[in-house]
Order: sequence, then structure tokens, then C-alpha cells
Amino acid sequence: MTDNQSTASVIQVGGRPPLWRNAAVLKWAIQFAALVAVLGVFWFLIVEARTNLAAKGIPVGYDWLDDPANFQLAEGIQTVDSPERRLTMSRALWVGMVNTLRMAGLGILFATIIGVIVGVSRLSKNYVARRFSSVYVETLRNVPVLVQIILWLAILGSLGKLTADSGPIPGWLIISQKGISLPRIFLADGFYQFASMMLLLSVGIRYVNRSLRRRQEREGGEHRVGSKTFALVVVAVVVSWFANPVMAFLGPVFSALSDGWGAIPQGVMQTLLSLIAVLSAALWIKRFLDSRRTPAGLAKLIDDDWFRMIFSGVAALLGVFVVVRGWPGLSSWMVNSGSDLWGVLADKFGGGRGSLPFDAMKPTLSEGRFVNYGDTGLTLSVFYAALFLGLVFYTSSFIAEIVRGGILAVPSGQSEAAAALGLTRSQALRKVVLPQAFRVIMPPLGNQYLNITKNTSLGIAVGFSEIVQVGQTVYNKNSQTLAVFSIYMIFYLACSLTISSVVNTVNRRLAIVER
Amino acid sequence: MSESTMTAATPAPVEHGRSGVRWVRENLFSSVSNTLQTIVFSAILLGLMRWILGQIFSEEADWSSVATNLRLLMSYNYPIDQFIRVWVAATIVFLMVGLSLGAWKVDPGFSVRRFGSTTLSTGAFLLLVRVLSPEATPQRIALAMVVAGIALLVLGSLVMRAVPRERDRRLGFTAVLNSVVALILAVLWLVPFGDYGVVDGERYAVDGVTVASSTKVPWTLVLILMVAFQVVGRALGPSVGATVRRLIVLFWVVGPAFIIFLVLRDPAFDWDHVWSTDVPMAAAFALGGGGLLYLLSRPGRDELARVIGAVLLAFALFNWVAAFFGWYPMLQKARFSFLLIAFAVLLVPTFAGERAARLRFAGAWFGLMVLMHWLITGINTESTLVIAAPPFLGGLVLTVGIAYYVMLVSFPLGVLLSLARTSKMPIFRVMSTTYIEVIRGVPLITVLFFFSIMLPLFLPRGMGISDLAAVFAGYTVFSAAYMAENIRGGLQSIRQGQYEAADALGLSTVQRTTLIVLPQALRVSIPNLVGQAIATFKETSLIAIVGGFDLLRIANSTIPNQPDFLGQKRPGLLFISLVYFVIAFTMSKSSQRLEAKLQAGQAR
Repeated sequence: MTDNQSTASVIQVGGRPPLWRNAAVLKWAIQFAALVAVLGVFWFLIVEARTNLAAKGIPVGYDWLDDPANFQLAEGIQTVDSPERRLTMSRALWVGMVNTLRMAGLGILFATIIGVIVGVSRLSKNYVARRFSSVYVETLRNVPVLVQIILWLAILGSLGKLTADSGPIPGWLIISQKGISLPRIFLADGFYQFASMMLLLSVGIRYVNRSLRRRQEREGGEHRVGSKTFALVVVAVVVSWFANPVMAFLGPVFSALSDGWGAIPQGVMQTLLSLIAVLSAALWIKRFLDSRRTPAGLAKLIDDDWFRMIFSGVAALLGVFVVVRGWPGLSSWMVNSGSDLWGVLADKFGGGRGSLPFDAMKPTLSEGRFVNYGDTGLTLSVFYAALFLGLVFYTSSFIAEIVRGGILAVPSGQSEAAAALGLTRSQALRKVVLPQAFRVIMPPLGNQYLNITKNTSLGIAVGFSEIVQVGQTVYNKNSQTLAVFSIYMIFYLACSLTISSVVNTVNRRLAIVER
Repeated sequence: MSESTMTAATPAPVEHGRSGVRWVRENLFSSVSNTLQTIVFSAILLGLMRWILGQIFSEEADWSSVATNLRLLMSYNYPIDQFIRVWVAATIVFLMVGLSLGAWKVDPGFSVRRFGSTTLSTGAFLLLVRVLSPEATPQRIALAMVVAGIALLVLGSLVMRAVPRERDRRLGFTAVLNSVVALILAVLWLVPFGDYGVVDGERYAVDGVTVASSTKVPWTLVLILMVAFQVVGRALGPSVGATVRRLIVLFWVVGPAFIIFLVLRDPAFDWDHVWSTDVPMAAAFALGGGGLLYLLSRPGRDELARVIGAVLLAFALFNWVAAFFGWYPMLQKARFSFLLIAFAVLLVPTFAGERAARLRFAGAWFGLMVLMHWLITGINTESTLVIAAPPFLGGLVLTVGIAYYVMLVSFPLGVLLSLARTSKMPIFRVMSTTYIEVIRGVPLITVLFFFSIMLPLFLPRGMGISDLAAVFAGYTVFSAAYMAENIRGGLQSIRQGQYEAADALGLSTVQRTTLIVLPQALRVSIPNLVGQAIATFKETSLIAIVGGFDLLRIANSTIPNQPDFLGQKRPGLLFISLVYFVIAFTMSKSSQRLEAKLQAGQAR
């Protein structure tokens, strides 16, 4: 309503209206008032929480991260406390994060495979395939995923007991009440050398691939770019597999980098960060002014534009204040953790490392139980299996619908045109239909990947040690709910940002290049 | 489009004589890959069916655990002497379904031949199930499957033979619905399911009789009323027409709030307080406020309205300050109502106009006040906030209630958030975007935990909130972010010309948004909103993790802990899967139909 009044008066009077009827002033005043109100509510809540916590004698902060955990985890890269490897609170949370990512990654892989198969067979000419797929999709997507997970747990719980000779393939593949165990492939000592060598070689392969493709475009005809590149990749893998000790020289390089980074004085880091804040604000203002520039010179700036520029300047100054005075720990943290990061890398390339990048182990049993972790096979506990099956089948039904919709979205004229050009059926599918279907499929598919990552948190219902479950154990021990929830939030937001940026990059690659 | 191509590619599964053989050859064995697909998928299908039947009819599964606990699963510990409320609610819903069906004459119709082929394949499917079901299947059920399968086969082929393709007829929707109702009633009264239940903590099970009369008598009455009201609706439809339909639509929008409330309301309700305080206050605000708005919205009273609005706003804000310092007591809902009336009076110049418009404005205020006071009375009464140790709320009633109220409350929040996110004001945009993206970035369970654990921490000392209310707040906050994104999609589909046209007509920003932009944007986002309603319904199963007694919790931990049914998880879980499936599947099918209808409307 304020908008209404002010525009009316602007039309009547002409020229500059008084301050309290200026649309731009009012607009910004309302926004600032709302901002202050929201920040005020947050401030009030935080003060309340602090007093409430202090009244209960619970310290605020993250100091507890280094405390010993005093609990065991059900599964993960480290489950118990031992003298050589302490299980601290932060370590336990880290194990939970790795478990979450492991579940999400495998879930995404299998849900995509099953989803694509089911989605394509919903469009099959075969009656049985079509009906089977549609019943599959409709059944699985209409039952809540949590109900499915718990149903899987109940079903797996009714499987046979674990004995020395149980399993479909005793000693190699074991399925029982306690879970599923199979041989585990793990990263051996030579992996980092292997990976860095592959990285180097892949730059060369990329160059060869590009020049091959350019030649094909120039000369026409079939140059077998794909199979040649694949052959080069195989050669690169074989070479790096055996020749990777060559890369050991990177160790000293990284340790030198670590020392150099650690030697940066705090003042320099602070100046650097402040410069980044101020320069980015200046850059934004410059770009903004550029966008207002017309051939006739700079357009007249309205109040709203001035507010925007002043706001960005204030934000930059606030950033500088935070870096220098408000939170001096930030710059020293960046110095220390940067140095640590290089140090970790130097350690991975350290001398005396073997050359084998991967190795495998068979599952072992002791006293009627799986040996959980260490020198043994890959054991999926029954909790892991229940969560995995529930997530994969539920999400695959959504992915199937996305794939079906994507293929149906490609107009049939496209494949007819491809046939008219003389492309074979498989060529038409590979080069005409699927690329266009992918463009439709990609964004919702990325959403499903995000959903699977977030839904791993349902592991708490079946006792799978993912981040939320571990976090709950932690705050039940030490009442640090506020800190644990902030860790949840940062972790999941990081996952979301990573997945969505990957999907966006792929999408940009696939986008139609328009003239 | 996809639907039509699918049906075009799917002829009736079984034809007679030579054509049947040709159909099989064309659809199952036309090429090598086709034959391979037939073999592979049939093998998977038969294996899966055998496995699922093995789960259902396994010797360990005791299905009387579900039959005995049906009341627990549907409405948990709902007091038996208050059960009439559940039946009244069900009656109102079914009665309105009948009325709506009659008033709209919904008649998509079914092809008789299609009906015949469906019957035929269902019969064949039942026989297949009998063949695949394991040894442990009870003799009675196996026999029933064979008999029903053969009966359906015979019926289907008779129908197919009686109605050849060229003389296909269509069955009316209501006729089919009424015969289904008749079938359900016949099954209830004739089939000996057995009578299972609990009386005064004692379990009993009587085999060989029909279900208890406390179940079948009310259902019979409800269903008969539904059929009767179809006739009423049909009679009212043409004569009164649009008004009746508008009233029915209004009922479906706000009615469930009252009906669910009728069920959710705590039995120990302080009626003295309601009649002495709540009802007079609601009446005062609704009538007094409505009258004030009606008088002030006469054209030419803008200045007066602004002055009165400013005074009211100052008074309302002062009330909150007074509340903060504890100067004088006042019911919180009175404070809310004063704030709302102040805003409404400030909005008067926007809605000023002729008599009908003013009446509508005052009427909208009246409705808002009645609804708000009804809801606040329900939530805010002492006995409802503190839920006694064995909670009486639970089961399907809780699931449906939470899902409905979450959608109802998060809808306005979502609209506001989406408007802020698409607005030209950068701070509003940044705040709303941050909220939406942060909430959408984290899993629902962390939000629920946050609200059930952290909310009491954030509140000032002396203030508390019940577990269920905290969880409800978490659901609402979560749902609002998704709602905002769905509505934003609709907002972005509005063309620039609509805004320019509204400006050219001289509409204010509020008028432009409420009268031009939102109606079109919401219409576009209806399919997405229905999708979200289904998702919300499914997500209510997470209440089980944060401590509520919903369907999942009862099936997964209450029933398996009963001494008679120790460890009986699978029957209960399979049963609730079926319940979730039936509701979600019905919702998604009707949303598809709605979408098709809306698209057809757009195309014209």
C-alpha cells in the first residue's frame, strides 16, 4: 500500500518527492526494517539458547571435538578406540560422514542403473516388459521410503543364521541375518602415485583425443576416435600400474609447499583476505556501472542504484572488519589447515611406498560374526543392506519415470530425420535421440541424486552409523546439540552444492549452443 | 501425450481365436530381442511373485496380529466412548463425496469391453497366484482364490462375448461406483473374515463369522448415505447450479480443517471456557471487525481508514510490547486479532468500491476470524497442549491429520516466500533464497530433530511446547520451502504483459499480485502442489522416528511388542504399505486426470 501512495504522489508533484514518500527510500527502509527484525529475532533466540545452555552448565563452542568418543560405532572405517588410533568425537563424526557418502555414492550408481533399465523397458514393444515396469514404478514410488527400508530390515532379519559354511558361495559371498559379505577391493599404498600419474597421462590423452576429433571433422569419414582413445586409456592404466613409483618425487615437493604455506605470517593472510573482499566489491560496482553505461554516456543513476552500491561497499567493509578484528582466528586457521593439507599430501607420497595401487581381501568370520573392519572382506551389515535396498528401489522408480519422460520428450521427427540421413538405428539413438533426451533428463536426475543423499539420513531408523545417527549419539553423550546441528547443516549443504554444481556443469555441456 | 501413445500400443491382452495367437506373436515373440525380453521379464516376474507370496503366506506370519490391531492402526488409543466423532467425520466426508459426484455429474464412463478384459485378466492373475503361492497357504484362502478366479474368468469371457467390439457400450461412473459400494457391503455382511478385537484389554478372535457389527453397521450407514446424497446432488445441481457448486468447493478447501479437528480434539475439552470466552471473543472480532471494514470501505473514506488503521496498529504493537514486559494480561489470540484487524483496516483503500465488493471484503474477514479462532481454540486449550502419557492420537488419523494441516499452514508461507524470492527487492530476495535453499539442502529428519530438541532450548524460560506441536512446526517450516519453489515455477510462467496490463489499469502492487498474478500462477502450479501433497503424506512416516505413534511406529514396534504377537513385524509392515499405496496411488491418479483437464483448458 505504501508503494501505491508513493507512486501516486510522484506522478502528482513531479520532481523530487519528500523523503517519506520517495519510493526508493521507502522500499529500502522496509527491507532494512525486515532485515533488522529477522536478525533481531535470531539474536534473541541465540541469547536465549546461550542463557539456557549456561543455566544447564553446557559450554558453547567446538572444543569437545577432540574429546574421546567413549562409544563404539556399528560400522565404518574405524569403529572402536585403540591406543594407536584414538576415536575422538571429530573422528567418529568423520566416520559417519564417510558412511553417508559411501551409501549415497553406491545408491546413486545402482538406482541409476536399475532406473534406466526400467524406464527404457516401460517403452519397450514387449508386453511383459512394459507391464512389469509400470507395476514396478507405481508400487515402489507410492510406498514411503522409510516403510520400505524398515520392511527390508524385517525381511533380512528373517534370513538364515550366520555359520562357517553359510552363503551362496562359502568364503566368498555370504548372505545371512548378520548381513552380506563379499571380497573387498581397497586402495593400497601405491594408489596416490598411481592416481597422480594417471592425471598426468590423461592430459596427454585429452590432447590426442582432441586433435583426432579435429581431424575427423576436417576430413570426414569414420576415424574411430572413441576406440583409439579407449586404447590409449588402457595403455595409460597399464603403464601407471607398473611405473608409478616414478612419481615419488612429488613427496618432497609437497612437503616444501607445506613448509612455505605454514610460514605465511598472519598479517599477510589478513591483508590478502581483506583485499579479496574489497576488490570483489569494487569489481561488482564497476560491473554494475558498466551495465548502466549507454552509448550516450553513463545513464542517470536512480536512488535504488545508489543504495545497491552503498550496500555492497558496506558489505565489503564488514568483511574486512570480520577478518581483521571480529574473527582473527579465521586467517590463522587458513594458514594452519592449508599447511596441514599439503603435509597430508606429502605424507601420501612419502618414501618406501609400495607400487601396487589396489588390493583385495576375502571375508573372514570369527566366533560366528563377521570381522568388521581391518584385514578382511567388505561386510555390509544388515542395517546397511536394508537402507541400501530401500533407497535404491525407491529412487530407481523415480529415475525410471524421468528417463521415460526424457525419451518421450524427443519428437519422433528427430529419429525419422536421422533415418532419412541414412544413420543406422544405433547411430540415430546414440547421436540424435539420447543427447536430446539427456538434456531433459539431467536436471530432475540431479534432484533425485540430492534426494538419495539426503535420504541416507533415514539410516537412523535402522541403526546404520551415518552422520545423523553418529551425531545423535554424540549429543546424547555431551548435550552439544547446537554444534552438532551446525555440523549437519554444513555437511549436507556441502553435499548439495557439490552435486548441483556437477549437474550444472554437465547440463551446460549438453545445452544447445545457440547462435 | 504419453498416456495416449501407451494405450494405443496396448490392445486388450487376450483376444479370441486366431487374433489371440497373432497378438502373442506380435507382442511377445516378434524378434530375437523381443523373445529374450519375454523370457527374462517373465522369469523375474514369476520369481518375484513367488517370493512376495512366500512373505505373505509364510508360516511365521501371523496375520491375526493385523486383524486384531486394526483399530490401533487406524486411530490408536482413541477413547471408545468418543468414537462416534470418528464416524461423524467419516460420514460428513462420504456424504460430501456423494453430493459432489451428483452435483458435477462426473461421468467419464468405462468401456464395457475394457471392463470384461480387466475381469478376465484379474481372474487369470488370481489363478496364477494360487499356482505360485507356497505350501503354507491356508486351505480356505487357496480354495477361495480358485473359485474367485474361475468365476471372474467366466464373467469376463461372457461380457466379452456379449459385447463385440463394434457394439461396445459405456458404463456410467456413478453406476460402477454404486455397484462397487454394493459389493463392499455384500462382502462385509457375508464373507466370514472372522471377528478380531480387544475388549477391556482382553484379546479375542472368533473364526468363521463376519466382521464385528461395530464396524459393519456404521460403514453400511455411511455408504448408503453417500449413495443417497448422489441423488440429492443430482437434484440440486441443475436447479440451484453455480452457488451450490461454489459452496461445495469452499467445503473441500476449508472443511477438512473442521472435520479433522473434530477427530483430533482432546476428549477432555473445557466447554465452559469455550462458551464463556472463546466464542464471544471470536464473535466480537468477526462481527465488529467485519462491520468496521464494511463501513470504512465506502469510497472517499480512505483518509479516515488510514488514521483508524494507524491507531489500531499502534495499539496492537503496544500490546506486544506490553506482553514482553508483562504489564497486563491478555489472551495471545486477542493480540493476534488486533494486529490482523489493524492490517485489514490499512488495506481498506485497496478494496474500497461498490456494495458487493465491500460485502465480500467484510465476509472474507469474517471467515478468516472464525477459522483462526476455531484453530487457536483447538490448539491452545490447556488439555490439548499437554498430551497425557499414553497419547491418544496416532495411527492413520494422525498421519492424515498432520499431512493435511502441514499443507494448509505451509501454503500461505510458501506463497509469501515465493513472492519474496521473485521480488525486485534484493534484501527480501536474499533472505527468502537463503531460507529456501538451506531448508531444501538438509534432510527432513534433521529439521524434525532440530525442532523437537532445539526448540525448547530457544524458547524463553517458562514457555514450553508439546512434542507433537514442535514436530508439526518442523514439518511446516520444511514444507513451506518446497511449496515456495513449486509456486515460484508458476510465478515465472506469468508473462510480463500481465504485469504491464495490471499497471496500465492503475492497480496497486497488492491488487496486481492478489487479483492478476497469483490466481494464474497458482493454477499453473496445481499439479506440482498435488505432487507435494503426496510427498508430504508419505513423509509423515518420519514421525515414527521422532516419537509419534503413526502407522509405521505401531506396525514396527507397538504390535511386535504385544505378548500375543511377539516379533510379528512383517504382516503389519506389509499391511501399512498397502494402506500408504492405496492412498498415494489414488491421489496421483486423480492428479494426472486433473492435469490433463487443466491442459485441455489451456489449449482451448
